[in-house]
Amino acid sequence: MDKMLLGLLIGAGFGAILQLGGASNYKKILGSLLLKDLTVIKLILTAIAVGTIGIYLLDFFGIANMDIKPTYTSGIIVAGLIFGVGFALAGYCPGTCIVGASEGKTDAVFVILGGLLGAAIYAVVFPLMNKTFNITANASNEITLATVFNVENGIWVAIPFSLIMIFLSFKLLKDRYGEMPS
Amino acid sequence: MSQEPVISWKTAGILLGLLLTFATYAYKPLGVSSQYVVTDGVIAHKIAPEKAEQNEYLAAKVGKNDWQIGSGWMLVFGMFLGGGIAAFATRRFHPKDESEIPSMWASKFGNSKGKRWFYAFLGGVFLLFGARLAGGCTSGHMISGISQLAISSLIFGVAIFASGIFTAKMLYRSKGVNNNG
Repeated sequence: MDKMLLGLLIGAGFGAILQLGGASNYKKILGSLLLKDLTVIKLILTAIAVGTIGIYLLDFFGIANMDIKPTYTSGIIVAGLIFGVGFALAGYCPGTCIVGASEGKTDAVFVILGGLLGAAIYAVVFPLMNKTFNITANASNEITLATVFNVENGIWVAIPFSLIMIFLSFKLLKDRYGEMPS
Repeated sequence: MSQEPVISWKTAGILLGLLLTFATYAYKPLGVSSQYVVTDGVIAHKIAPEKAEQNEYLAAKVGKNDWQIGSGWMLVFGMFLGGGIAAFATRRFHPKDESEIPSMWASKFGNSKGKRWFYAFLGGVFLLFGARLAGGCTSGHMISGISQLAISSLIFGVAIFASGIFTAKMLYRSKGVNNNG
C-alpha cells in the first residue's frame, strides 16, 4: 500500500482511539497528573503492556520495524522535566492537541501553535543543545532493557515487563474521584 | 453534551497496543512530535529557502525529505480526521461546556479566554521544546519507546510524570491548605 495512505489510515485509527478513550479530554489529563482520575495513565500502561508483547513477538520473527530512541541521560531528563511542565499547563500532549482541535476545542489549537513555535525555537538552539547534551555523539546508543540484561531475544524481557504494566494498571493504581476539583 | 470517554481505558489501551503492533509491522512505530518540525521546516523553506537550508536541525529532519511532507505528516493529519470523525459519530463534537475553556480550568482560573489560550500556547511551546530535545513525545517516546523497552524512553516517561504531577499540583493547590493528600 502507498505509504502516504497507510500513514493516514494508521493516524485515523490512532486519533479515533484517543478521542473515544478520553485522552484528548483536559479533565482526564489533569485528573491523571493530579493522581485523582487515572484513566489516561491506565490507558497508556495497557497500551504499553500489549504493545511490548506485540512488538517483541514481531521482533522474535524478525519482522519488526523498530525505532529505538538513543539514550543521552541528562538531556532526556531535562527534556522530560520541560515536557511535563507543558503537559500540565496545556492539558494536552503533542498528539492529543491535534485530536482536541479536531473536536472543536479552541485551546487545543493554541497548543498546536505554541508547539510549532517550541519546535522552531529548538531548531534554532539545536547546536547549543547538541553540545550540552552530546545528542548526535550518542545517536547510536540505542540501549533497551534487553541489552541491559544481556538477553538476546527481547521477548523474554517483554513478557515479565508486560505483566508488570498489567499489574500496575489493573491492580495497583486506584482512582480517587472524590478529591477531584470540579 | 458529555465529554466522557465512550470506551473504557482497558478497551482503548488494548486497541492502541494492537494498532502500535500493526504499525511497527506494516509501517513504523507511532510518532507525532517530529511533524511539528516538518511543518516548521516546510513553511520556513517556502518563505526563506536559504535560511532553512542553513539550519542544521531543519536540514537534517526536513531537508532529507526534499522539504516536503511525508507519510509521518499524513499520520498526524489522519489523527485529526479520525479524532474528528469519532467525536462527530458519538455526538461529542464541539462540546458546549468544554470547547472554549475546560470547565475544570475555568473553576480555578476564571472565564478569561485570553488567559486560557495564553497558557495553552505556553504549554505547547514547552511540550515541543521538550519533545524535540528528547527526540519524541508521549506517542513516539513513551508509548512506542517504552513498548520497545528503550532505556531513554523509560527515563523520559518517569521525568514527564514527575514534572507533570508537580506542575499540576502547583497549579491546582488550594491556597493556605496542605493539598498533598
